[in-house]
Amino acid sequence: MSAQATAHHGDESPKQLWSGGASPFKVGYGKVMMWYFLISDTFTFASFLIAYAALRFAQSTNWPKPSEVFASIPVHGLDHLNLPLVFVSFMTFLLIVSSWTMVRAVQEGYRMNKDGVVKFLIPTILCGIAFLGCQYLEWTHLISEGMTPTTVAHTTKVQNFGQLFFVITGFHGMHVLGGVVLNIWLAVAAANGRFDKVGHYEMVEKIGLYWHFVDLVWVYVFLCFYLL
Amino acid sequence: MNFDEPVQGHLHWTVEEYNDSKKEVMKTIIILSVVTIAEVGIAIAYDKLVGDGGGGKMIINMIMAIASIIKVYFIMGTFMHLKHEKKWFIITVFAPFSFLIWAIIAFSVEGAYWETMRGWINLF
Repeated sequence: MSAQATAHHGDESPKQLWSGGASPFKVGYGKVMMWYFLISDTFTFASFLIAYAALRFAQSTNWPKPSEVFASIPVHGLDHLNLPLVFVSFMTFLLIVSSWTMVRAVQEGYRMNKDGVVKFLIPTILCGIAFLGCQYLEWTHLISEGMTPTTVAHTTKVQNFGQLFFVITGFHGMHVLGGVVLNIWLAVAAANGRFDKVGHYEMVEKIGLYWHFVDLVWVYVFLCFYLL
Repeated sequence: MNFDEPVQGHLHWTVEEYNDSKKEVMKTIIILSVVTIAEVGIAIAYDKLVGDGGGGKMIINMIMAIASIIKVYFIMGTFMHLKHEKKWFIITVFAPFSFLIWAIIAFSVEGAYWETMRGWINLF
């Protein structure tokens, strides 16, 4: 097993890998730790969403309807149309597409194809930035309607709705921003041939895991705020 | 920090593995798009056709929850490659989440109780 493991790194003693001579679960240390970080992050988001559930059940008769709060497209010229959910569906679509381009970059990495990795990381970064831009439009629109963490708009009868919305989508947006920064670093490092020198593209997969996690969290944020 | 430590794992794919994975991912992205469009479609249709105070909201919510679980299954399984990891690694990832099941039940019940309590307070 260890002979196989060190096939690409002939000069290492077999003891090294995780200092016990093997990688538990047959994956790299960094990848396992990225997974365990994501588990802890899941608990952070879960705490927020469970708080949302408790506060919503506590005010279930007054809780605002998503189709009223998010009734319009927050783009100048389109904001008078009554098209609930269309804009946020577009945002969801952006994240799904970026997840797909990310997984394509990981696959190209497995083939040691430097140009392929960079080619698929660029649309991933652009989708992430577009998502943040959409969130900016959505937030400014809602704030202009009077919905902030401390004030209530005519569509949101409940104070907690604005508080939870801005905290949870803000925390998710911070994760997207972090992912965009990591992806930019990754694209530059890959373009400079860093991973060709290292001999593998595991870093693309590790950052990819984080990026998919951001998409995963959005599934639940989308569910709680827009669909239920 | 050393990002470039030697790793054990399957980091170099053959052309067949690459092509299989590409096909699997293509299938997954189509499923995810269809499920998302269906979710939004159902939400809008319910709103336009049934609207406020109509029945069946519980069923709609159940459909949405199941659709989300389907999406999570495909994102974690295929995109995050978890389906192809070792069984015990999958278990170490999922075991902690079992705590959340009770947390969700407990806090939902607690929240509903707060509302009941508020109703009682308003009586006096």
